[in-house]
Amino acid sequence: MLTRKVHLAFGSTIVILLVVSSVSYHSVVISSESDRWVRHTHQVIETLENVASDMASAESSERAFALTGAEPYEEDYRANIVSAEQDEAAVRNLTKDNPKQQLQLPALDELMAQQIRFGDMAISLRQSKGAEASANALRSEPAQRIKDKFRSVVRNMEGEELRLLSLRNVDAKQRLGQTKAVLIFGTVLGLLMAAAAGGWSIQRDNSRRVLAQSLRDSDEQFRMLLDGIQNYAIFMMDPLGQVVSWNAGAERIKGYRADEIIGHSFACFFPPAEIEQGRPAEILRITAASGRHEEQGMRIRKDGSQFLASVTFAALRDPAGKLRGFSEFSHDLSDSKESEARYRGLLEAAPDAMVVVNQSGDIVLLNVQAEKQFGYSRDELIGQKVKNIIPEGFAERLIADGMRSATDALAQQIGTGIELVGRRKDGSSFPLEIMLSPLESSDGILVTAAIRDITERNESAEHLVKTVRELKRSNDELQQFAYVSSHDLQEPLRMVASYTQMLAKRYKGRLDSDADEFIAFAVDGCNRMQGLIQDLLAYSRAGANGKPLCEVSGEDALQGALTNLRITIEQSRAVVTHDSLPVLRTDETQLTQVFQNLVGNAIKYRSTEAPRVHISATKKDHTEWIFSVRDNGLGIAPQYFERIFILFQRLHGRNEFEGTGIGLAICKKVLERLGGRIWVESQPEKGSTFYFALPERDEKR
Amino acid sequence: MKMIGMDATPIEVLLVEDSPGDVRLTREAFKDAKVHINLHVVSDGAEAMDFLNHEGKHANALRPDLILLDLNLPKKDGREVLGEIKESSALKSIPVVILTTSASDADILRSYRLHANCYITKPVGLDGFLEVVKSIDSFWLSVVKLPHEPRS
Repeated sequence: MLTRKVHLAFGSTIVILLVVSSVSYHSVVISSESDRWVRHTHQVIETLENVASDMASAESSERAFALTGAEPYEEDYRANIVSAEQDEAAVRNLTKDNPKQQLQLPALDELMAQQIRFGDMAISLRQSKGAEASANALRSEPAQRIKDKFRSVVRNMEGEELRLLSLRNVDAKQRLGQTKAVLIFGTVLGLLMAAAAGGWSIQRDNSRRVLAQSLRDSDEQFRMLLDGIQNYAIFMMDPLGQVVSWNAGAERIKGYRADEIIGHSFACFFPPAEIEQGRPAEILRITAASGRHEEQGMRIRKDGSQFLASVTFAALRDPAGKLRGFSEFSHDLSDSKESEARYRGLLEAAPDAMVVVNQSGDIVLLNVQAEKQFGYSRDELIGQKVKNIIPEGFAERLIADGMRSATDALAQQIGTGIELVGRRKDGSSFPLEIMLSPLESSDGILVTAAIRDITERNESAEHLVKTVRELKRSNDELQQFAYVSSHDLQEPLRMVASYTQMLAKRYKGRLDSDADEFIAFAVDGCNRMQGLIQDLLAYSRAGANGKPLCEVSGEDALQGALTNLRITIEQSRAVVTHDSLPVLRTDETQLTQVFQNLVGNAIKYRSTEAPRVHISATKKDHTEWIFSVRDNGLGIAPQYFERIFILFQRLHGRNEFEGTGIGLAICKKVLERLGGRIWVESQPEKGSTFYFALPERDEKR
Repeated sequence: MKMIGMDATPIEVLLVEDSPGDVRLTREAFKDAKVHINLHVVSDGAEAMDFLNHEGKHANALRPDLILLDLNLPKKDGREVLGEIKESSALKSIPVVILTTSASDADILRSYRLHANCYITKPVGLDGFLEVVKSIDSFWLSVVKLPHEPRS
């Protein structure tokens, strides 16, 4: 605002100055003009006088001639006439611009011409009639009258000139007066404007000075603020990325002093690989385009060490939008107190022992679990070589991998535990597993090791192996026992049975009826015993041959069972039907055995109708196959649903149905070994449906 | 050529069996045999080899036309005896019928591998047992032509 006033004032002053000077010039012109007019007027008058005087001279010459008749007087007369004509011409010329005067000229001319005629006449009269005649001519009334008129015209004209002159003088005076007034006024105004301009200018200077001072003050404060920030590098760059300002934080974080770095490109903070890829220039481009760019990346300090920085760039533009430069605001992530605190917290809370080791193999950090595991206190371990607690394997790996970048080396080992041996403070050793991960810090690459004592794990593993071995052995023993005992029992039993039967044969009817009866019971007892032992043997062997599972057709297994049962099927006129049965991974022999038992039972425990047996299979939940064997036989009361699967449990006497009650027990044993199960649904006199499930071991699932 | 068994020449059968009860039963069963059988009995594997090799107390033993061999024998096991018989060039031509209580697949396979001529599991019941012996008789001693090597 002030500036505009100043400008206005100065502008006005200049304008006034121009006006004043033009007006001055004008007055000079006026006065010179009036001078000219004066001269002009005088000139005209003078010339007119000349005309008159020339005519007068001509008259005198006439008279002289008239008197004397001397030739020279005639020559004078002619000369004067010529001069008068010349002067008259001059007057004509001089009064060219004056119409009024011009009007007089014809009269003047005429009068002069008349005078000249008279003169000429007088001259010719002298020559012809002598002096008297000529003089009389000259003195004649008309001649005098003409001369008078001539002279009055001349006087009129002169008077006219004088009049004009006085008019012009008045006019000039007036104009001069105006000019003077303008000059005075203008000068005063000009002075005022100049004063105002000066005043406002001073005012503006003052306010500018105040502003500049406050700017300098705030600049100073700002600088102090920037320098006070130690943890953040804040600096500015020109549009090409040359550093133009630098704060104390930048010095601390990047290692360069202000005088060392100002004028250099910020690209030198980047790792060489990124400089080659043109990353710095790219960042400037992105920032210029979007105004702002944030990223995390590796930076290099003056001493060559690398660190991870969180960086924000901003584009600086002037009010017109032109790019003036960039600002960078960055932060060394590796020494952030907050992240460090978090890291320490995590370390401390970890359930495993955590030890952080630097590249020289010194322990720099550990947690309470590590203290417990190794039996040292924290202070005893920090600064010690890790070799003291893990004598072999760890430190060597660090050193050996020093050739590659630690990150590469460790990246390989992440996720794989390394088994080593740890040594406690008391000297005892224990097996441990370590998992390594790299950690970038301001002190270089550190290695964090999670250490787990695997003594227990190893022991459990060992224990497990031992237990399994024991179980296997025990199983084998039992099998052996079952086999041997039933096999060995068979022998004496055979003897008893055979000879009692021999007795029966040989001596039937030759002993008394009691003997027959006794022998009959003995024989029966033996037979049963033999049956039981056979079944026991079969049961012990059931499911034990452990063939590897393969793809078995359920239909084939069923056919096998039906083939084995064909006599029974024929004799009982049984009708056996089935739905399509699946192919599944199981043991064929055993599946056949199960079908044989179930179908056999279905036929055996029939009602009065001819037995009808139907076998089907459904898939459940993609995890197992449920087979069913449905019959129209006697049915089973619910309270026996569990009992029937127990070895040797029967629901009917030997008189009703033969058998030892082993079939279902064998089925159950076999199926459970195959990962399945068996159960029944039935109603007395409504038939039974036996279900068994086998797992779907489809690997494609 | 003399035809064996059709005339009075008895068929020499060696029974290698340790259970006296079974021996007796076998004898009883052969009583009804179609052919005339001389049943020689040894009760363990060692004695069986002595008999076959004419050694020890069996120096004068006759060469059997058929051997009925139990597997579970004391001293020398029947499986071993089988192996030795079938290895011996002198003895391997004698048909050996394994007659044992064992029904195990392993024993069956092994016996055949050792070139047993056939394998019979002794039935548990008397009748069954008698039947089997009778069938040995009717098959091995009637239907089958046994090799005849000159008796030394």
